[in-house]
Amino acid sequence: MLFYTPNRMTRPIRLSEKTRQFAYDSLNHKYGIETREHNAVSLDEIDIEIYQKMSPLMRYDTAIFQIVSKAPLRICDGERISGAATLGLAIDHRVPATYGGVKIFSSVSHLTVDFETVVKKGINHIRKEAEISLEKHRGTEKEDFLKSCLHCLNCFDIWHKRYLDALADRPEYRANYENLKRVPMEPAASFYEAVQSIWFTFAFLRLCGNWPGIGRIDCLLGEYLKNDLQKGIVTLDEAREILAHFFIKGCEWVAGGDYVSGDAQHYQNILLGGIDENGCDVTNEVTYLVLDILEELGISDFPTSVRLNQNTDEKLLRRVAEVMRYGGGMLAVYNEDKVIEALQKDGYELSEARRFANDGCWEVQVPGKTFFMYLPFDSLHILQKNTLNGYEAGVDYPTFESLYQRYIADLKRAVEALVQVRVEKCNTRNEKGEWVWESLTPCTVISLFERGCIEKGCSYFEGGPIYNIISPHIGGLADTVNSLYAIKKLVFEEQRLTLPEFMRVLKNDWEGEEPLRQYVLTHYSYYGNDNEEVDRLAARLLDDFADICAELNGKCGYRFPAGVSTFGRQLEWIPQRASSPHGRKKGEILAGNSSPTPGTDREGATAIIRSYCNADLSRLTTGAALDLKLLPSAVEGEDGLSALMALMRGFVILGGFFMQLDVADVSVLRDAQEHPEDYQTLSVRVSGWNARFVTLSREWQNMIIEQTER
Amino acid sequence: MELTVTDIQRFCMHDGPGVRTTVFLKGCGMRCQWCHNPETQKGKPELLFYAQKCILCGACAAVCPNRVHTVEDGNHMLLRDKCKNCGACASVCPTKALEISGTKYSSEELLSIVERDRPFFGNAGGVTLSGGEPFLQKDGAIELLRLCRLHGLNTAVETCGYFDPDVLNAAVPYTNLFLWDIKDTDSARHQKYTGVPNEPILNNLERANRLGARIRLRCILVNGVNTDDIHYRRVAELANRLSNCEGVELIPYHAYGGSKATFLGRPDNGKNEWIPTANQLGTAKQILFDQGVKVL
Ligand code: SF4
Ligand code: SF4
Repeated sequence: MLFYTPNRMTRPIRLSEKTRQFAYDSLNHKYGIETREHNAVSLDEIDIEIYQKMSPLMRYDTAIFQIVSKAPLRICDGERISGAATLGLAIDHRVPATYGGVKIFSSVSHLTVDFETVVKKGINHIRKEAEISLEKHRGTEKEDFLKSCLHCLNCFDIWHKRYLDALADRPEYRANYENLKRVPMEPAASFYEAVQSIWFTFAFLRLCGNWPGIGRIDCLLGEYLKNDLQKGIVTLDEAREILAHFFIKGCEWVAGGDYVSGDAQHYQNILLGGIDENGCDVTNEVTYLVLDILEELGISDFPTSVRLNQNTDEKLLRRVAEVMRYGGGMLAVYNEDKVIEALQKDGYELSEARRFANDGCWEVQVPGKTFFMYLPFDSLHILQKNTLNGYEAGVDYPTFESLYQRYIADLKRAVEALVQVRVEKCNTRNEKGEWVWESLTPCTVISLFERGCIEKGCSYFEGGPIYNIISPHIGGLADTVNSLYAIKKLVFEEQRLTLPEFMRVLKNDWEGEEPLRQYVLTHYSYYGNDNEEVDRLAARLLDDFADICAELNGKCGYRFPAGVSTFGRQLEWIPQRASSPHGRKKGEILAGNSSPTPGTDREGATAIIRSYCNADLSRLTTGAALDLKLLPSAVEGEDGLSALMALMRGFVILGGFFMQLDVADVSVLRDAQEHPEDYQTLSVRVSGWNARFVTLSREWQNMIIEQTER
Repeated sequence: MELTVTDIQRFCMHDGPGVRTTVFLKGCGMRCQWCHNPETQKGKPELLFYAQKCILCGACAAVCPNRVHTVEDGNHMLLRDKCKNCGACASVCPTKALEISGTKYSSEELLSIVERDRPFFGNAGGVTLSGGEPFLQKDGAIELLRLCRLHGLNTAVETCGYFDPDVLNAAVPYTNLFLWDIKDTDSARHQKYTGVPNEPILNNLERANRLGARIRLRCILVNGVNTDDIHYRRVAELANRLSNCEGVELIPYHAYGGSKATFLGRPDNGKNEWIPTANQLGTAKQILFDQGVKVL
């Protein structure tokens, strides 16, 4: 049983052989393939005329009922906690129900739900709240939704009972049965119950097609473990086993095969460490157990991030570095000082800001209270197509400043248009011309776990949650900045050619202009090299972008905080992009997230971090991610640990936001392309998630290699 | 105070404790045959030519006042003897196939550059002066060390030990750690392979030690040159005799530096037969260890 490491470091063994085997099977697709075999339940029993008369919410309720009644149950060999999301369509982000062979509903992701209420108060508490709210809203248009809430809670019960019955039949699962008897319906009383409570609820949400994040698992479980350890109910080793099963079962959708962006992207993010709403450090034994498990099993399917701050304990930092250097992109870090500052600037109360988690990728949000959606766009395309008019003849600006101002105006128009389209999809104007929420796709199951929905009687999509966020995300940042910078230097400062002449060169994709292209590539120091001049330009652009977003607030029920991301979109954007002023030809893979353009960073990791931190990242409320790839040789031995710790420390001191440090070796990745069979468990950090490298499409694999090479 | 610098490397992990910014100063009094930074040997700026980057555009030939470059028929020839290292060609070369090694910086400028990575240094890291032999530019080097210490930066100096002994009185107080090269303990061999005897180096070393300098010895292992037990024993003796020596680093020779000589228009001086075997490295470690020396 080999759990892959890029540097051939041997992973420590702490878990039992049985648990390790379970992990190995799960990572090698055993359960994923099984899940794929039962794709969905069918509503075909319903007569077509009746079906056509049913409202979307009625259809949804019926689908959920069929799912909980008919989904196969799965009890894995030796599992310590039970419950499984066994319908294949859910892996495709769908409610796994069909009518006449057609998929009925899409599902919800990009959020972390309220597991705190589940563990500490139980599902029955949520039921009580729903009953109270239903009484309150009787006779209003909210009634249907609240009835649907109670219906879905009943469905949850049905599914729970089916598992209890199945477990009761199997004496070897007595412990599982006893442990599942009370939770998640009642508050958890022990660590073991708490883990089962979160897992079972998570599995239910996933069974119904949703992809929620987990959030701050050490916060949720820490007190339970502490109490149980004190009372001697559980040992640390025992607790590690139990928790490991949570992680292993989370790989039940890993099915191998070909996926564009990998087969492990289900947004089930986890956050460790950091402070609580009162400012106290939450780091506890659970934090370290999670790190132990990730280190031993190399499970990357729960992209895990650690909240660091200026006072992060040396012990934790070191442990994070130790786990990080096995590669696989399992751990990323937030600088929570910056994140909390950003959320406060956007109007959140301090205690609320301190509770942040992420959305299932790395965009931050207050968990269990937030509707979240982001709107990605390519800023480079706007520069090329609008401001520089596709490099057509006639483009000219008297000064760099006039060009820049025009660009910002174009950017503003593009962002406004993007937001307008989105808002009109979920809102309509009433007689008075005000925006009102419109019913959209039913999503009752997820709404049960988002505070505000039940109280207000509105679903997740209808303004139910307390915070409703649509975050415009600027993509192509480094390339836009580098393009602007190259034009500034070449045309306006050095005056090597006029802007119309330069436009001709670009229109022809640098044809016959190799020396000029080489000059632009090698003589300028671009974003990522700690060059103040270009970094200032990046900071200015981000500030202007944040201003554009801030102006959108207050017009409807959403807020529009800014963020930076591409995730993997730099690939999708290739066809729409022309050649770039900073020496890039058409079709090249350009920068991801807040990272430098591949091949332009010559000063090393510390310079990249400085460039990234130079902008005021507190204005990018939902996040700006920096991806750094290090070679295995750079993280070897004690020196390598110090290096990783130093990078993290510097990142916090300089005011970074989110950083994904991955350890990868280009030659290994190349070999994996040729011999995928030898690298089934090799994972890499893509962006907010990890991917099993061999399940990525060739284009995505090449993009990762390109990022790693620089 | 001005210094001639060949390179500044950030995020160095092997030039002393922690994360460091290493400043390579130009000029060295020794001529080790295995030198892996040949561009740092001469004190004056020198023209480097990376043939593989040249796209034969001819821009260099057009600007050189001394007709050093001939670019024709897919070939680029250099008459280096005529080069005055003025840098005109390097500034127009679009691909940076030409480069002047040896840029002047004031000590204040260097301080502000190394300051940039302070957030990454933590308690252990800092600045390392390397080269070349940093103390050949003694006034500038001491001034830079003083400035760094004044601003609370940890300082290390990587030295070959071959310099004016008077430097030490001024340098030791501003240097947190000396990384002191011991190329060979056999003086005749030392003379043969490095061009100078080793006595002045050892004298400087003892003197630095007397002045209270913290020292780490760095011993390059060159197969067939200094890979004998007697040498290792003498290194151990030396390490044990120095009261402030914290241990010995063993550095196996590698051949990468060889091709760098070609950028200066000299033949590749790398020799694969010089690479020590794992066994030799093991023996060296063992002997040092047996003599009670800490191998770092
Ligand atoms: S450095 Fe000056 S003299 Fe030497 S080749 Fe270049 S232009 Fe000619
Ligand atoms: S200027 Fe540079 S690229 Fe052009 S011929 Fe000279 S060395 Fe080659």
